[in-house]
Amino acid sequence: MNHQSSGALPPPNAIVQWFAGVGRVTHTTFEHAGGLGILFAQIVVATVRLKVSFRSVLNQMYIMGIQSLPIVLVTGSLAGIVTSQQGGYQMTSAVPSYVLGSLVVETIVLEMGPVLTALVLVGRIGARITAELGTMVVSEQIDAFKSLGRDPVVILAAPRVLAGVMVLPLLVGIANLIGIMAGVQAANLTSGLGQESFFFGAQLFWHSFDLGYSATKAIVFGLAIPLISVHMGLKTKGGAEGVGLTTTQAVMFMTLTILILDAMFPPLLLN
Amino acid sequence: MIEYRNIHKSFDLPVLTGVDMRVESGEMFALFGPSGTGKSVLLKTTIGLTIPDMGEVEVDGISVFRGGKRALEAVRQKVGYVFQHSALFDSLNVFDNVAMGVPEDELARMPRMETAAKVWEALELVNLEPREILSKIPSELSGGMKKRVGIARAIVGRPEVLLWDEPTTGLDPINTAAVERLIQQLSKQLQVTSLLVTHDVEGGLLICDRVAMLDSGTLRFCGTPDEFRACPDPVVQAFVDRAAAEAALDMVLDVL
Repeated sequence: MNHQSSGALPPPNAIVQWFAGVGRVTHTTFEHAGGLGILFAQIVVATVRLKVSFRSVLNQMYIMGIQSLPIVLVTGSLAGIVTSQQGGYQMTSAVPSYVLGSLVVETIVLEMGPVLTALVLVGRIGARITAELGTMVVSEQIDAFKSLGRDPVVILAAPRVLAGVMVLPLLVGIANLIGIMAGVQAANLTSGLGQESFFFGAQLFWHSFDLGYSATKAIVFGLAIPLISVHMGLKTKGGAEGVGLTTTQAVMFMTLTILILDAMFPPLLLN
Repeated sequence: MIEYRNIHKSFDLPVLTGVDMRVESGEMFALFGPSGTGKSVLLKTTIGLTIPDMGEVEVDGISVFRGGKRALEAVRQKVGYVFQHSALFDSLNVFDNVAMGVPEDELARMPRMETAAKVWEALELVNLEPREILSKIPSELSGGMKKRVGIARAIVGRPEVLLWDEPTTGLDPINTAAVERLIQQLSKQLQVTSLLVTHDVEGGLLICDRVAMLDSGTLRFCGTPDEFRACPDPVVQAFVDRAAAEAALDMVLDVL
């Protein structure tokens, strides 16, 4: 009996390729994790030593905050309207209609507000930061900073990350508020639920911790988006093609990170 | 004085394979070589922008890679670097770009008027009219002006060493000649050590005290311009002939 049939086992080169693939993914993962850790530590050191320009942070807060406000308002309103309409549609006579108030408020504050705002900022701010810093790398502007004795982390990375951490909670707060207001109006128009009943229902299941939960998510996302986008931007190689490729990778990386972090919050903080 | 000892560097493939080179204080030194032979890589090791796989670089006796962060800062303060494509900061105007060349701690202490005077002087040294361009951003400048602003930024901090990474790339013959005259004039006026990486062999031979040629990652020649012209090495001769032919072709194309 022939135990060495060629079809019984995959050819050795396929196994080698599989291990090589696993090795590459592991190497890339650790490389990014290490790079992000080092960048974060450098930003903390620069901040603690008061090396970061306050004016640069304010400028970044303006770009991330004020300039993102319109899209955040639109996203927040639509999230409130859709949640309210779909919640109203699923209500049966066995459930008091004021429960819709709780459903909308909790969904917006705990999930939709922070996550949608973060995803909007991934596209609007994260991609911009990666492309901007990537272009600076390929046009040797980062090298120029270093040659002039300036630290790109202090000048470019730290203001963006600090601004992200401060701005995202504010934007999430605004998105939550506008989402709830839009939800109230939508509940009134589509389910005939009055404002008082809506807020009565909302208060029934409200915990003050929910606001902290929403803010904590916003701070974590506000740290992750600029940190990843700066890290990816500074790792750009090649020319215009490299900038495009790195920006696409950064957007995917940030989106996945936001969704994974979001999935980690309930088991860590809600149970 | 800049000294490179046994520099090795690979990016997937070997680029530099054991380069030993010495640039004496106060001299103008040109580094030639075909594209991809590691000239810019070698230049970047001088201020730690590229870290060699093996070997050592010293600037005025300070070790770039073995002296730690402070030594690297000290070296960078001594050296002005002119980038191939100027590398001006897009978001800053000419004033702020040039002012970036003043050492950070000095800039923090310096009154704004004093900074302005330094920037003004640097721009005048590169034959630019400060009044006209101070508030312009890089995208509003021509290629030649960008080069000059890049040079002004490199010299405003009064460096002792100037590194020029193909400063005439992308310029027409008139601007090329003007920038070469400027390099020569500034090196003498500021009494600096200059290391010039260039494809313009004729220009380099005209203005430099000594020249060297890199080929396939190793130093093929090092000596005076006259020795370079008379060098019997067939690789050097082929390079000189090709450079002369390219220069002639450029001139014809420019006339046409």
